Amino acid sequence: MNSAVNFMKHLAIILICAVCLIPFYILLILSLNKPQRIFYQGNLFVPDFYFQNFIDAWQKSHIGTAIVNSAVITVESLAIILIFGAMAAFTIARFDYKFNKFVFWLFMSCMMIPGIINTVPLYALMIRLNAINTLWGMSLVCATIALPSSVFIFTGFVKSLPREIEEAAIIDGCSWFRVFWKITFPLLKPSVAAVIILNGFGIWNNYAQAVFFLQDTKKHNIPQALSVYFQQFAGAHWNLMAATAVIAVIPVIVAFLIFQKSLMKGLTAGAVKG
Amino acid sequence: MAVPAFLLFAVFFLYPLSQGIWMSLTDWDGISRANFIGLRNFFDFFKDSRAIADIKNTLIFALGSAPLLNLVGLGYALLMNGKFKGKGIARVMIYLPAIISPLIMGYIWYMLLQPDRGFVFHALDLIGKSSLLGNWLGDYTACMVVLVLVNVWQYAGMTMVIYLAGLQSIPDELYESAKIDGAGFWDSFRYVTMPMLLPSIRINVVTNIIGSLAVFDIVMALTDGGPGYATETLSIYIMRMCYGSKTGYSTAVAIIMFFIILIPVMISMRLTREKE
Repeated sequence: MNSAVNFMKHLAIILICAVCLIPFYILLILSLNKPQRIFYQGNLFVPDFYFQNFIDAWQKSHIGTAIVNSAVITVESLAIILIFGAMAAFTIARFDYKFNKFVFWLFMSCMMIPGIINTVPLYALMIRLNAINTLWGMSLVCATIALPSSVFIFTGFVKSLPREIEEAAIIDGCSWFRVFWKITFPLLKPSVAAVIILNGFGIWNNYAQAVFFLQDTKKHNIPQALSVYFQQFAGAHWNLMAATAVIAVIPVIVAFLIFQKSLMKGLTAGAVKG
Repeated sequence: MAVPAFLLFAVFFLYPLSQGIWMSLTDWDGISRANFIGLRNFFDFFKDSRAIADIKNTLIFALGSAPLLNLVGLGYALLMNGKFKGKGIARVMIYLPAIISPLIMGYIWYMLLQPDRGFVFHALDLIGKSSLLGNWLGDYTACMVVLVLVNVWQYAGMTMVIYLAGLQSIPDELYESAKIDGAGFWDSFRYVTMPMLLPSIRINVVTNIIGSLAVFDIVMALTDGGPGYATETLSIYIMRMCYGSKTGYSTAVAIIMFFIILIPVMISMRLTREKE
């Protein structure tokens, strides 16, 4: 009885994993088929191994530029979120001023508002700042959207750290600013991982804001470049669509596989604390 | 030191938000002078049958997506909670779809589900059941079901990980004492697992409600809001109205959407708090 239940459990898990992976495998097959191949031709699982697709996709789409742009936006936004977010959280957790309480309350109440709600008025502001079609503008927008939840995670974490070391450093004549950078910030490591992971992929994949703020082909991020590139095919050229998608997906999967251990830990830490 | 974060937030969030409230009361087209027109945009919204249909689409998507995501995610988590070989790899595989851009996921499923030439059609053809697959993406009801299922497929792993974290924080002693008190599987699930899981339930329910009511990417890629406007959601409507030079109107829609999201979020927060 027990071993039968166990067997069913394992079978179910294998099936679930298969359902999760098969679409990726199909994508890979499509990306390796010759353009003239009529879909599957009686053979579902073995492609033509036609690597020219990747060369064509790389040259015809702007996916290379888009990957660089996405990387720049992600790194810039994460840097802003980490520095500003951790500084704010430290202040909120350690100093009981009215202004700090207000800032925390403000972030908490705005955490529930999805970015799309104020994207249109933001667009008007971005025009006046000359920030449309700039990577720095997009970085600031993405950072702002992610800021509340990051402050929330950091604040919870700083509160769980002991005050004694910080206070000892203050007695020794250290300023609060130095205490934060030299003592508290290095201790934030687990929550830094959580914040990077929870926001990094979302910023990398951002489309809802990119549609508005990155219209210039040279400034497209990955989703925006793909959607513009695919629209001209009107449903044809699956081999090129698939090859471009594979190229676009590779950096994310590599990053995910490298960081998956700390990802799972970070998510757990973030979730349990949150 | 909270000032830089506050300033950034004030400039790129609070200021546009307050501007949005003003803009929603004007006929601004994005270029010429804005005229104050009172609440006319809001009246226009409720008179527009396309807008009402978009509210309905958004709600139907969320009503399908948010509960199903939680059920599937919880089911996965319960299944994965024990110790077994390959657990780490299985978790990575199930989580994998969630890190990929929903836009790319939409395109992949678009190619999988095409009638006559998609993978699903040919796979069904192999077992002689190809008639099962109709033109799902061209059918009003079916494409909504497909959108919900693809969304659940993509984010079940994320929901699962949060439930797993919650499950692992439940001490074994609780289950043991429940067993001594004569509790069976369902009893201990109901009286130990569920109450202890409440924080994870709250996170998942709230994020899934917000995520599914603001859905954008996957619909753009899979159906482009079509056929017709059958799967157009509020976020797509906002974007299209903004590009259609109805800037003032689109901010009014955003404000309406804000309340559509706020109400269920407040209700679910209240519900998960009281039981604690």
